[in-house]
Amino acid sequence: MSTLKKGYSILYQWLFHRDDRLLLIIAGSVAGICSGLAAVALRLSLQTVLEWLHPFRHYGWAFVLPAVGALLSSLYLEKIAREGAGHGVPEVIYAVSRYGGLLRFRSSYSRLISSFLTIGSGGSAGPEAPVVMSGSAIGSNIAKFLSLNERQRITLVGCGTAGAIASIFNAPIAGLVFAIEVILGEWKFVNIIPIAIAAVAGAEVSQAIIPEQVIFNHQTFQVGLLDILPSLCLALVTALVSVVFTKTLQQSGKIARTSSFPLWVRAVFGGCIVGTIGIFMPVVLGEGYHFIQEMISGTFSLGVFITFVAVFAKIFATAMTLGWGGSGGIFAPCLVIGSLTGIVFHKFLLILLPSVGCAREGAYALLGMTGIISGVMQAPLTGIFLIVEITGGYEMTLPLIVVSSISSTMSHYIEPASFYFKDLIERGQFLRPGTDARILSDLNISELIETRYTKVSGNMVFREFIEIIKTSRQNFFPVIDDRTNEYKGMVKISAIRKYVLDPGMYDMIFLSQIMDTEVMTVSLENDLQEVLEIMDINGMETIPVVEHDRFVGMISKTRILDLYRRELIVQTSAH
Amino acid sequence: MQYSVFELSKHLGVVPDTIERWVRQGKLPVSRTGKNYQFRISELKKWAATHNICLNLSDEDPAEKKRESIISLSSAVKNGGIYFDIIGDDVTSVLRACIKKMSIIHDDFKKDLFDRLVEREQALSTGIGNGIAIPHPREQLSYLNDPAVSIFFLADPVDYNALDHQPVSVLFFILCPALKMHLQLLSALSFCLRDAQFKRFLNARPDPHQLIEKIEILQTANPI
Repeated sequence: MSTLKKGYSILYQWLFHRDDRLLLIIAGSVAGICSGLAAVALRLSLQTVLEWLHPFRHYGWAFVLPAVGALLSSLYLEKIAREGAGHGVPEVIYAVSRYGGLLRFRSSYSRLISSFLTIGSGGSAGPEAPVVMSGSAIGSNIAKFLSLNERQRITLVGCGTAGAIASIFNAPIAGLVFAIEVILGEWKFVNIIPIAIAAVAGAEVSQAIIPEQVIFNHQTFQVGLLDILPSLCLALVTALVSVVFTKTLQQSGKIARTSSFPLWVRAVFGGCIVGTIGIFMPVVLGEGYHFIQEMISGTFSLGVFITFVAVFAKIFATAMTLGWGGSGGIFAPCLVIGSLTGIVFHKFLLILLPSVGCAREGAYALLGMTGIISGVMQAPLTGIFLIVEITGGYEMTLPLIVVSSISSTMSHYIEPASFYFKDLIERGQFLRPGTDARILSDLNISELIETRYTKVSGNMVFREFIEIIKTSRQNFFPVIDDRTNEYKGMVKISAIRKYVLDPGMYDMIFLSQIMDTEVMTVSLENDLQEVLEIMDINGMETIPVVEHDRFVGMISKTRILDLYRRELIVQTSAH
Repeated sequence: MQYSVFELSKHLGVVPDTIERWVRQGKLPVSRTGKNYQFRISELKKWAATHNICLNLSDEDPAEKKRESIISLSSAVKNGGIYFDIIGDDVTSVLRACIKKMSIIHDDFKKDLFDRLVEREQALSTGIGNGIAIPHPREQLSYLNDPAVSIFFLADPVDYNALDHQPVSVLFFILCPALKMHLQLLSALSFCLRDAQFKRFLNARPDPHQLIEKIEILQTANPI
């Protein structure tokens, strides 16, 4: 028995400890499968409830349906799950950058339930962000179960994300790219393989369970060189629409937050408005996959004007759902808005230049989707690969790249932060690996502090002090109270030179008379960013750290440089 | 061979908190035995090399090294020796007579030392006043193994061009192989010479043992 155990531990060490790649691949594929299952579960239940509610849509009172859904969803999140509203992607990004991907187990199902309530009742939102949250929480908790370190946990969070996106769109590469481009923010060799495998696992799960309901069937389009110029124009349009979409979302959230109503009243209000729009324009309701499918295959029947209005109706409905208390993501709304924009653009093109032999309507719907995804999320690669995988071929790659790059550049020009990152940047929580903000947040004050300082008393006669500085290398002497050990001030050698050179002063003064009490101090709670700011403003090279009136130590720029450099190396190294 | 968190923190020059954070974040190669982290040197070396991080694996503290070169004045005096009744009428003859008696300097180098000391005296007299001079060469002496302070009591006071124009009766030769020791000894010596009691003690031409004892007492009062 003991030999068996020993053999197992040696095997374990050899396989997993020395090189964690195999471990990450196995754990990653488990995470991919689990998050794939979560995505399939949400998809199936949404499908069922939408079908079940379909007959009621024709009644006049149907406009309250989204309100009821949003109400239940907001109450669930606030009272039962106790998690914030919103779509969850920024939370995942923040958890990855600040807490090494630590997420609560509760997060792996809470968003699924709340977004099911919101979207199933007709609210205009996407199931992707909740599934991403759920998948990443699954990955994080698998890592916790295996007691892995933060680097490995981040990889597993990426695996869960990739599995979720891959499963919902049946697009493994898009899952991989989304996980790395949006969630992790670093293309590291050690991450890519496990995440790729997880993405494939997620996609396989959805294909195995619901093969007939894969969202977008492969379509092939004939796209020629003639389409490049229209693509350029379409890219400008989608950039504009993305900016409008992002701004509307933010504004509606802001207005909702400033209103004094409780969350559930806001949710009901938003839901009613969405429901009312939905009666006249059903395309805005739900996640809209069905309509996207129609638009790609060219069976979408609305006229050009109605479609044009639908673009803005969808934007407004999504803003009313997400900003006012509903739960869900923006990925699916982006796709709907993108395809609507593409179709409007194509119809206009045909009206203006009827004889030009450009590609079919569906191709422009796809290009529009890429444009909006690249514009809103500022994740151009995700947009490109998602559409490439949907079409199942590379015929459209060139116009896709054109649209995606121009749209993301233009919207970046107008709105520098993408929708996912904007909140984080505003709160100072956007901490991508290898950036200044990340290093400063990782380095703790307690790691930088130099504590070996000789302290002196305020009652010390200057002559005594002269004896101390003879043998000391210190340039700063903290002065403390004899009785209470309280920090009183600082004696800077450079500032007292004229007294040091004047022996007549030696017996005349006490240290409390020449110490500097105006020196700025920081405490252990300050973060490094603030400390550096104080030092820069006051032109200080070193700053004392004082905690509860006790002198703790000094922080010097020399020491900061030393540790900053090492932290940068450690953070950006390939492993 | 393995290191603990605390040992490694010393070698990397960071606090243990940083090491623990790096382990938690998965940035350091670590092997865990129970609750304790252990770091293998071979893995650490590889890690440090790939990350271009300096891993100071020598056991001695850099601060320790510096302390080694400190020499006390009393032991330097023991090296250099104490001599009485030197005869001479001017600076050069006194110096020549002193060097001749010095046992620590090999005969081959006595001429060189004399030249150097005379050159130093011509530049600026080392007679610091109160009948005391501290002759020393400007450059350090490579042929000397240990720093030495030789004390010479003259038979008769000599005009030494001292700063206070008083004749000199006691000479302290400071001879060092390195500049750092020279400054230390000079500082220790000047501390002793500032002591009025010590000066009176010197004028009484004390016994060599008593003199060294007295210096030992003074230097413990003024540690370097």
